[in-house]
Amino acid sequence: MEFPATLFPSSFSTGPPREEGGPAPAAGWGEFGQVLETGPGHQQAETTFVPRRGGMGESWEPADAAAVPFLPSNATCWVPSLVPQDILYRSFLRRKLPISNCVPAMDFTKQLSHFFVDHPEDAFGSLGQLLHKNFHLGDSGVEREARNNTIRMTALMEEINRLDARRGCPQEYLASRLRWFSHLSRDWLFEVPLGLLADCVHEELLLQWAGLLFDDGPTGGTLAWLPTEDAGARTGRLVYPGGQAMNHLYFQDVVLEELPRTRGSRAEFELNGRIRQVAAARSDGKDFVGVRSDYHCGVWRVPGRTGAAPTPLQVIRTSVPASCLTVSPHLPGELAVCTQSGSTYLWNVETGLQRLRHDPQTMFFRDHSPWRWCDFTAHPRVLSCADRTGLQCLDARAPKRCHFDLFKVGEEASCQQGERVVLPMYLGKAHPSQHLVTTQFSIYVVDERLPLVPVLKWLHMMKSPPLFAHLTPGDPGRSHKLLLGASRTQEMLLLQYQGGGRSACQLVGSPQKLHNIAGCLEHLPTQLPHRHCLLQQRLGTPAAGLAAALQKDGRRESLVVFQLSEAGDVFCQRLTHEVVKHPAPTSGDEAMASSGSSLLFEDPASSPQRLGSEEEREEEEEQTSYLSNLQVIINEEEDGGRPASLEEAEPTQEPCASPQPSPVVLSEAAVLRYHRWLKAVSKHCGEPPWHSFPPTRSQKRLLTRKELQTLGGASTLHQQARQRLHQAMLERGRIQHWDLPDSQSSVILQPPEPVEGPDPLSARLAAAWSGDWSQWWEERTSFNRAKRQRALRERRRRQKQARGHRSLSASFTSSLTYQSELSELSDTGLPPLSPVLHQEGSPLRGSPPPSPVPDEALLSSQSLRSRGIPKERRKTLRDYLGVWAEGPPEPPELPSSQASQLCIPSSQSQLSSASQTRRKRPRMGF
Amino acid sequence: MDGLEEGKEEGAAGTKSPVEAAGSAPLLPLRLPCQPVSSHEHKLNFGKSKEMCLNFIQDAMLQKQWKRAAEFLTFYAEALEKDFSREYMGPSEIIWRVGTEILCHHSHSSMKEFNSFIEQMKTLGVKRYLKVCLEHSFHLLCNGLIHEAYQNLSLAESWRFGEQRALQDKEIKLIQAYKGLLDYYRWSKQKNILLERGQDGLEDLSVEQEMHSYFRKAAVNLKEIIKTPGVWDIFVKCYVDLLEFYGDDEEARQVLSEYAYNSKFPANPNAHVYLYQFLKRHSESKKSLISALKILHDLVPSHELMIDFNIMLQKSKKRKNRRLGLEVIFAVLDYAGWKENVKAWSCLARQVKRIVISEKHLDWIKQEWNSRKDWWTPFHFSFYLAKKNWQGNENLSYEKALVSGIILGKDCKYFRYVSHEGCKAKVKRFRILKKFVNKHSPVHLRISALSDSSVQS
Repeated sequence: MEFPATLFPSSFSTGPPREEGGPAPAAGWGEFGQVLETGPGHQQAETTFVPRRGGMGESWEPADAAAVPFLPSNATCWVPSLVPQDILYRSFLRRKLPISNCVPAMDFTKQLSHFFVDHPEDAFGSLGQLLHKNFHLGDSGVEREARNNTIRMTALMEEINRLDARRGCPQEYLASRLRWFSHLSRDWLFEVPLGLLADCVHEELLLQWAGLLFDDGPTGGTLAWLPTEDAGARTGRLVYPGGQAMNHLYFQDVVLEELPRTRGSRAEFELNGRIRQVAAARSDGKDFVGVRSDYHCGVWRVPGRTGAAPTPLQVIRTSVPASCLTVSPHLPGELAVCTQSGSTYLWNVETGLQRLRHDPQTMFFRDHSPWRWCDFTAHPRVLSCADRTGLQCLDARAPKRCHFDLFKVGEEASCQQGERVVLPMYLGKAHPSQHLVTTQFSIYVVDERLPLVPVLKWLHMMKSPPLFAHLTPGDPGRSHKLLLGASRTQEMLLLQYQGGGRSACQLVGSPQKLHNIAGCLEHLPTQLPHRHCLLQQRLGTPAAGLAAALQKDGRRESLVVFQLSEAGDVFCQRLTHEVVKHPAPTSGDEAMASSGSSLLFEDPASSPQRLGSEEEREEEEEQTSYLSNLQVIINEEEDGGRPASLEEAEPTQEPCASPQPSPVVLSEAAVLRYHRWLKAVSKHCGEPPWHSFPPTRSQKRLLTRKELQTLGGASTLHQQARQRLHQAMLERGRIQHWDLPDSQSSVILQPPEPVEGPDPLSARLAAAWSGDWSQWWEERTSFNRAKRQRALRERRRRQKQARGHRSLSASFTSSLTYQSELSELSDTGLPPLSPVLHQEGSPLRGSPPPSPVPDEALLSSQSLRSRGIPKERRKTLRDYLGVWAEGPPEPPELPSSQASQLCIPSSQSQLSSASQTRRKRPRMGF
Repeated sequence: MDGLEEGKEEGAAGTKSPVEAAGSAPLLPLRLPCQPVSSHEHKLNFGKSKEMCLNFIQDAMLQKQWKRAAEFLTFYAEALEKDFSREYMGPSEIIWRVGTEILCHHSHSSMKEFNSFIEQMKTLGVKRYLKVCLEHSFHLLCNGLIHEAYQNLSLAESWRFGEQRALQDKEIKLIQAYKGLLDYYRWSKQKNILLERGQDGLEDLSVEQEMHSYFRKAAVNLKEIIKTPGVWDIFVKCYVDLLEFYGDDEEARQVLSEYAYNSKFPANPNAHVYLYQFLKRHSESKKSLISALKILHDLVPSHELMIDFNIMLQKSKKRKNRRLGLEVIFAVLDYAGWKENVKAWSCLARQVKRIVISEKHLDWIKQEWNSRKDWWTPFHFSFYLAKKNWQGNENLSYEKALVSGIILGKDCKYFRYVSHEGCKAKVKRFRILKKFVNKHSPVHLRISALSDSSVQS
């Protein structure tokens, strides 16, 4: 183990970091750092110098235009992960504020209201049952005899609905009635005391938010590559998690070819929790794979030859979530475990656990994070322990006495303020005494023989901290390839460094960005917008791990990089490198090399991906047209739409969305892979869940209920339709055809507003757009007066009617609208009012429109009894149905199954409407 | 690409209408809105487009598209006009960093262009002036332009700008140190000329005077930098070389021991190596050499000098030193980096063999073995390693088999496999080895017995 005879100069001071900084966008560029004289000695005429950063590296060119799916998509359905929009308070007022001032505000009330709506029984169960007799929800007044113990809540309900519609309005005011009610009932209405519940929800929200900002659970990554014993073989084994909860562990044999492919069937293990980390190391000719989930850690042994089955060896359970699991590269069956309580254990499969350290406090200064990490060092009995503040090495034989500081977040490593350790890694495969330490700003290479002073430092400029790292050691004289991967933004960087033995450590070549999973969206065939959205979500899920395999094929080398997403997709890409005859551009030929370096990078012939000239581009386009049956969308740089969409994109997505100067076509094999992957995704995941779309604004929010009533109630056509609906409901059948006598039948299926002309809002908007808004207002006021008179007249007439028979008729308008909304949103939903046979078998076709049947038949106690509704419920049901008649139902925020039930106008609609109102009821209290 | 080319011309002329500019789509977001907007919004849009442009640059650079990055950079230069930001890193620094990086890699860049770019950058920010100068000199040095670099450094050294110079104290020290280093190289060049001429019997007074003047310049600057804590290997080496040439050994020794033992300095193994080499050059006593290496051993037990140290200690007549020697070589072999080093294993094998033959101090081995017995077997003496070592390196397997045979006995897997294979291959020394181990098999029992008893006690 040689130590460099001279190190790069650096000054050294102690104490907390002084440099104020932060993520600087271009901080990693343009610096040589220091220079060092090299060469055989200064006896020569000319001395030569090498820089600490910026030396000549190897060129690794991506072979394809994007990452290619390696495995068919994760078989089971995938649940989209939480996004900030889910829990953040969003109103246009807040959006207008400058971003810097925007303190994240949790949408706490939304979460609580979701809870009240989704779990009304848990929220208000007992009091709801007690009170439902005393609350009257109908439109009519309370009857005299019932007035003693029943109050009318209709107005309150209306106000609540209106409040909901006005959310985000700057002049939001709280009606006194609401204030009065909440004041009165806040203390006793809730099943769980509101304060307690709110505390819990708030705490959970903060936790979720912290997890969104930075989740250290997947540190280390859940993807591992186990190469086979003999170096010449092009096979290996990939270890990765899968399944809906990522709780299945797979071992898959892989053959490395132009595109790597799987061989044979995979070994599968079902585990007891979500897999957080997969760590692997080879010792004694066998691979040991450690798997960490929150409360369990397990170890598998995999023999080096291909095809041999992995054997599970041991599992340990922890009472506090484990934060780290590393496998010893020195001794077989030895691992190191850390838990969030601050304990570090050495775990030997034969001798069991040995606790090395227990310290809930951080090492060098106070930091709140319970995250701990440990790894092995050049000495098999010495372990490096890390927390957010630094690294310490301790001897497992005497952990209390023998330890030294390896890395400190402070002036020693010239850190910035606020810098924290994110991932330490032992780089033993490159040099036995080197360690990698990544922080959110920089990467450091530390030599344990020279503690505290990093031998290499570079500001990595990544948008989110690198949680995954992979080292591919280079042969003597060549550079080591270091891959860094971030989770949330899926960024991947390839760095090269060399030295550590005879020569001092240098960062060589320029850092290189690799394709990420999200980047392949533009290479997929065109999708319908909602499928595109789904794919975007799926491909954009945070990364969960990375691995790489080196394949040597004579002078041509390729590095196959695998990336895993949290949705369980494994994508791969290949980087190729031609080994030149003088592989090591070390010391002596540095001057020559650096002058030739740019030529090497820029030579268009050397890299198939860089296409400067127009002809080549044309040639490429020709190539793509051959594949037109698969409709590959090529990334067009001159596409004017893209930068515009980029403007609106989230800042984290910017780098991957930026236009490529030289589009490259995917190989045919890659296109096939995409096709297969897409097929599997659409097969398994089908249509997106309802809640993944933003709910469309129902007309209720645009127009008040009264407006709707007057609009809907006007037409005689509607009356007829209503009657037919009643008829069908009474007969428990379905409406087969709207063969109404007149030719206007098609109009019926339209939402009711267009019958009367444009709704007030769109008319107003149109007027404002054309500039004669004031004129519109004039017209409107005069029109309104007339309209109001007309509406008043209409209402009186209806009230008279209603006194005779309380009718379901008014609900028709709304259910129709609702129907059309549904059919627009989903193509799985039933076609509106599909022609089906009548239940009794007699088709309704051609039968004359039935005479209006009074509603008493439906709501009479007899009919209710015949439906098995208990006596005490009947009045409530009647009241509820009365409410149902009052206003349109809720916008479709329900799962599609429930929604489609609602649109079947048979007897089922009673039940569903009842359940609908029951869902609504508890919201009164909120 | 042609869209971008067009964009470049635009940037130079800056007169095209926005409609025409819309043809080059990627550049569109960089355009300022032409309709009048409020100043606040204007600033926001400007900042936004600037940020986006930087993102494009960054993206291009990370994909090694230097030409493309250069084109974007011409637009980013607009950001300098309204550098209101009080951020950690302003546009001028970004332009310097990005521009330098691009010019280092761009195929059409020349040294002349690079120099003129850097000269512009120097005027852009006084707060960074010395850093830019220093980096410029590094670039010149790496390209072999040592004379230019020297001029650059002298110019930077003489720079005065109110308080700014004092604020950039770190940089000025480094500039002086590198200048001193270059002076040293000049000195050594002159020295070589003189030595060559001296052999020919010629003497040149002017060359000698020049050499002395270089010495004075170099010594002043180098002496200055090594006073401040840090890793100054190259400066220390050069300074000591100067001092030794002029016979100032006492000063040299002081410099070296200060560099090695001052607790304000980081624990740099090289500092101890330089001191050891100095002591060795001046043929100091064994005792002082041993004490120097002992400190290095405590600091870095895996250092390569430990082999020399072990050999030195084995030769020593003192029992204590031989004991230390065993400790040193065992400690060396603890490290993964030495696992397959034949020299280290032969050192251990020799010493163990000597102890076994003399049958004195078996307890030394026992003590060393005691803390290693639970992990050295799987770490060094597994069956897998026996096979691998035998196939890979016969000498290594011989030395390791000897050690394992003595310590673990003849039933040890490693010894059994290697001696069996060795005898099968009819290699003479393996037969001798087998005999030797068989003869001394009681030793193994004594070691394990004693270590067991020590565990019990």
